[in-house]
Amino acid sequence: MDSLTHSRSIWKKAAPYLLIAPTIVWYGFFWARPVIQAFYGGFFDLNGHFTLDNYKFVFNDPYFLQAIFNTFFIAIVSVAVEFVLAFGLSLLINIRFKGAGVFLFIATIPMALPFVAIAAMWKAGLATYGWLNSFLYHVGLIAKNGKIVFMSGNKWPSIFVIIIIDAWGVIPSMMIILVAGMQNLNEELKEAGYIFGGTRLTVLRKITIPLLKSTITTALILRIISAIQIWAIITLMFGYLRLPTLVSQLVFYSDQRAPADPVYYQRALAYSVIVAIIISSIVILYLKVSGSFRKEENG
Amino acid sequence: MADLKLENLSKRFSRKVWGVKKMDLSVKDKEFLVLLGPSGCGKTTTLRLIAGLEEATTGNILIDGVDITDTPPRKRDISMVFQSYAVWPHMTVYDNIAFALRFKHLSKAEIDSIVTETADMVKIDNLVKRYPDQLSGGQRQRVALARALAVKPKIFLMDEPLSNLDAKLRVVMRTELRAIHQQTKATTVFVTHDQSEAMSMADRIVIMKDGVIVQIGSPDDVYFKSTNVFVAGFIGMPPTNFFTVEIIHEGTDIVLKHPFFELKLDNERKSMLYDYSKRSLTFGIRPEDITITSEKNNLLKERALVVEPQGSLQIIALKIDDKIVKLVSAREHTVFPGDMLFLTFKQNKLHFFDIDTGERIGDL
Repeated sequence: MDSLTHSRSIWKKAAPYLLIAPTIVWYGFFWARPVIQAFYGGFFDLNGHFTLDNYKFVFNDPYFLQAIFNTFFIAIVSVAVEFVLAFGLSLLINIRFKGAGVFLFIATIPMALPFVAIAAMWKAGLATYGWLNSFLYHVGLIAKNGKIVFMSGNKWPSIFVIIIIDAWGVIPSMMIILVAGMQNLNEELKEAGYIFGGTRLTVLRKITIPLLKSTITTALILRIISAIQIWAIITLMFGYLRLPTLVSQLVFYSDQRAPADPVYYQRALAYSVIVAIIISSIVILYLKVSGSFRKEENG
Repeated sequence: MADLKLENLSKRFSRKVWGVKKMDLSVKDKEFLVLLGPSGCGKTTTLRLIAGLEEATTGNILIDGVDITDTPPRKRDISMVFQSYAVWPHMTVYDNIAFALRFKHLSKAEIDSIVTETADMVKIDNLVKRYPDQLSGGQRQRVALARALAVKPKIFLMDEPLSNLDAKLRVVMRTELRAIHQQTKATTVFVTHDQSEAMSMADRIVIMKDGVIVQIGSPDDVYFKSTNVFVAGFIGMPPTNFFTVEIIHEGTDIVLKHPFFELKLDNERKSMLYDYSKRSLTFGIRPEDITITSEKNNLLKERALVVEPQGSLQIIALKIDDKIVKLVSAREHTVFPGDMLFLTFKQNKLHFFDIDTGERIGDL
C-alpha cells in the first residue's frame, strides 16, 4: 500500500466522524451543558458548597410521594386508555370506509389546540353550570338540581378529569402514528392470514399486532415520556399543589418559589434530575421488555 | 380434489367500474387453469373472488357443487400463493407453513410431519428454522408455495406467483410448479399476464379483457384459433401481424387487395369469405407464417429494418405501409438490416377477422 492510498483510507474512515462533528458540538453546547449543569447544580447550595440538602428537601417534601403516585397513576392509566382507544380507532380508519378521511381529519383536531385552549374548553365544560352538565340535563341523564360537581377538587375525581382531558388531547397523535404503521403493512400479509385459517381476531393477534410492534413501541415510548411529564394541563385546571405531579412540583419550586428564595432553584434542579432518571430508566426498561434491543443484536 | 364453478359472477367496484362482469366459468377437477390478460382485465379480481377476499356483487361460486359465495376465506378449503408471497416476516419458515395447520386440531407430530413433507417437496427442508429476511426471493416464493401446499386444499390459487422472480428462475419454477401439480393433482387457478407462461403451463387458458372472458381454450386453441383480433394480438411473441385489406372479385377469383400486395386466395379460403365479398376485413398472419422466398414467387418485397438474432432463429422487422411487421425465420441464411426480402404468406395460416367487431371469420 503506498502512502497515497493510505492517506485516502484515513480520510475515508474519518469522513463519517467529520460529518457528524457539527451535530456533536451543537448537542454538547445546547443539550449536554445544561444537563450537566442541572446535575451539578443539584449538589450545591447557594454559596457553591457541596451539599445533599437539595435532595434531602425533595425526599422530605410532603408532596413528593403524592407526586410520584399521581404521576405514575395518571401515566399508566392514561397511556393504557389512550393506546386501546387509539388502536381501535386506527383499525376503524384503516378499514377505509367511506368518509374515513373526514373522520381522521375531525379526530385530529385536538392536536391543533394548545394546552391553554384545551384547559379553558374543559373548564367551561366541567363547571357546575358548564356545557357538560347542561348536555346531560338536556338528554335527561340528570335532574335540574342534580348537577354533577366535576371540579370538586377531591383527589380521585380530579385525577380522572385529568386522565380524560389528557386522553382527549393525545389520542389523535397516537392514532396517527398507528394509522401510519398500519398503512405501511402489506395488505396481502393479512389476507394470507384469512386464507390460511385466521379469523379477524386471530389475524389481529398473530399477524397485525406483531407486525406493528415497532410502531407500537414508538407510539408508547413517546406517550409514556410525555405522560410522566404531565403538569401544564393540571396546573391550568387546578392550579399548583392540589394534584401534585413530579414535574408540576418542579415547576412550582422553580417558578413560584425561586424568585423569592433562590435556594428553591437548586431544589428544582434536584427534582429535575430525579425526573430525568425516572424517565430514562422507564424507557430503558420498556425497550428491554419489549425486545427492541434483541432485534438490533440479531440484525 | 374438486371442481370449481363460477356462475354469472360479477364484481362492481363503483357505478361505472366493473372488475368482473357476468362471468361463467367451470374449472374441472385436477385441471391447471390459467387466467390470462393484460393488467386491469379482472383476472386478479376473479381470483380474489374465488378466495373470498372480495365480495361478489352478483353470482355464485361453487366448489364441488357447494355454494361458497358467502363463506369466509378460511372455510372455503382453498389456498393461495400471493404475488408478493406474503410470507409473514415475524415467523420462521416452519411457523409460516404450520400456521394454517395449527387451526386444524392436529397433533404436534402430525403438524411436524406435514411441514417436513411439504418443505421437502419444494426443496426448502434445510431452511425451516430461518426467518424470511434471511432468504432470497426465490426461497421466499418456495415458502409461500409450501404454506399453500401444506393445507392440501381443494382449490389452489396462484396470483402471478412468478412475476417477481428473475427470468431464469421463472422458467425453472414453471417446470417445478407443473411437476408439483402432477404430483398433487390439485385443481389450480393460476393468474398471469405473461402469455408464454400461460402457454407453457396451462391445461386450458382463459383470456380476459375488461372484466369479461374473451376466449377459453387449450394453449393450441388460443394460438391457432384465436377468437378475435385481441387474442391473436395478445398471444404469441412476437404477436400476430394484422393487415386491413379489401376483398376484390376477379372473375372466379377472390383477391385480398392491400396497397403493397395482392393476395389471390385458394378455394378453401374463398368459401370462408363468401359472406364478405366486396367488403374490407382484417387478416392476421403469425410471424412464423410469413416465409422468405425467391424473387419469382414473391407476394411482396421489402427491405429488412431490424434483425434480432435469437440463436437458431431470427426475428426480422420490416415496415409495410408504415406499420411494423415482424417475421420469424430459421437462421439458414442470416439476414442483415437493409437486405431486400421477398416474402409470401402461408395461405392455410391466414386468420380473418371482421373489420368492425374484430371477431374471427370462419372456423379453421
